[in-house]
Amino acid sequence: MIRIVLWLLGGVLLGGVIHIVTILTLPLLAEETAWTRVAALEADNRMLILPPVLPGEPNPLRLDPELAYGLCRVDLRDGPAYLSGVLPDAFWSLAIFNPAGIVTYSTTNRDGIGQTLEVGIFNAAQTRLLAQQQLDIAEGLLVVESRSDDLFVLVRLAPPHAAMRARFEAELSEVECGPRR
Amino acid sequence: MRFVLLLLCSIAVALGVGFGLSYYALTDGRLFGAAQIGPWTAWPDAGAPDPNPYTRSHLTREAALQLGRSEGLQFVAAADSDGAPLDLACSYRLDGRMPVSTFWTLVAVDAGWVNLAAPGTEAALRSSHVVRANDGAIRVHVGRRLSPYNWLELAGEGPFSLVVTLYDTTALSGFGSGNDTLPSITREDCA
Repeated sequence: MIRIVLWLLGGVLLGGVIHIVTILTLPLLAEETAWTRVAALEADNRMLILPPVLPGEPNPLRLDPELAYGLCRVDLRDGPAYLSGVLPDAFWSLAIFNPAGIVTYSTTNRDGIGQTLEVGIFNAAQTRLLAQQQLDIAEGLLVVESRSDDLFVLVRLAPPHAAMRARFEAELSEVECGPRR
Repeated sequence: MRFVLLLLCSIAVALGVGFGLSYYALTDGRLFGAAQIGPWTAWPDAGAPDPNPYTRSHLTREAALQLGRSEGLQFVAAADSDGAPLDLACSYRLDGRMPVSTFWTLVAVDAGWVNLAAPGTEAALRSSHVVRANDGAIRVHVGRRLSPYNWLELAGEGPFSLVVTLYDTTALSGFGSGNDTLPSITREDCA
């Protein structure tokens, strides 16, 4: 009897190991991630407005139908990336995703930025250079350090009413994104 | 013979426990990375720059554009307050309060995250479009049947989930007492 219990206990322990290995390796083995889902979009160094979410249609990125989304993919190997523009007077927020689909930085317009979106994204080496050269950083520029060179930026903008959506999306699409030319 | 039988038994237990527990942890997730308020579940770590391994796997499974920590928090309910799965054949009533946030939206989605709002209606209910009681509490009716006051009109049939997205919220941040509250979901008539 004791032998059977020990065997079963061994099975449970092995199950625990399988569980831990599964949880830890799942992100590494996944073939379809948020990154691959946005990879097909033409959003390199430009602000792409994502199509609105309509009832009855697939929504793999799980977007909120009330919001307008602008997505821009940048590569810091080309130099630091900048986002610059003026957004309409409504709630907006910004999230920076790494290739693993994890938000490494996020902020909202309530953090004292108001309507102006001025963000500079630097990798570790570029941040060090920035500090060494003691350059004057323009007032209002938000400096974000990123651990990875590949990333995409998602700006969420909330038009207060559906009638304002087209105008809000037009203003969002005018946000400049990418290395400074 | 006995040894082989025990070995097979033990392997079966190991596979069952290992994969079963992993599946549970990433779907329900209550004991692992997910937080629960009544019927509503959220993954508070989902927007963190360094999420715990369970949340990381959960994010990978969803492959969605989740909210960053300072942007907000999303709660999903697949069952009513009594634990019965939400079904489009029934009408539901949401009663209560939302945590402090700049605004929130309520949508109904199916298992594939397809929006279930009736054609020609708003795809989501937004906090600024909601009629409230004098004490600030909300009452929202959800379902296919004509309902008074705030009504999220749905179409279709089968199980569904309700999703509340709180933008710029203090929910689950430990800020203030009595803030971590979400409306109860009560089942009304079923067709």
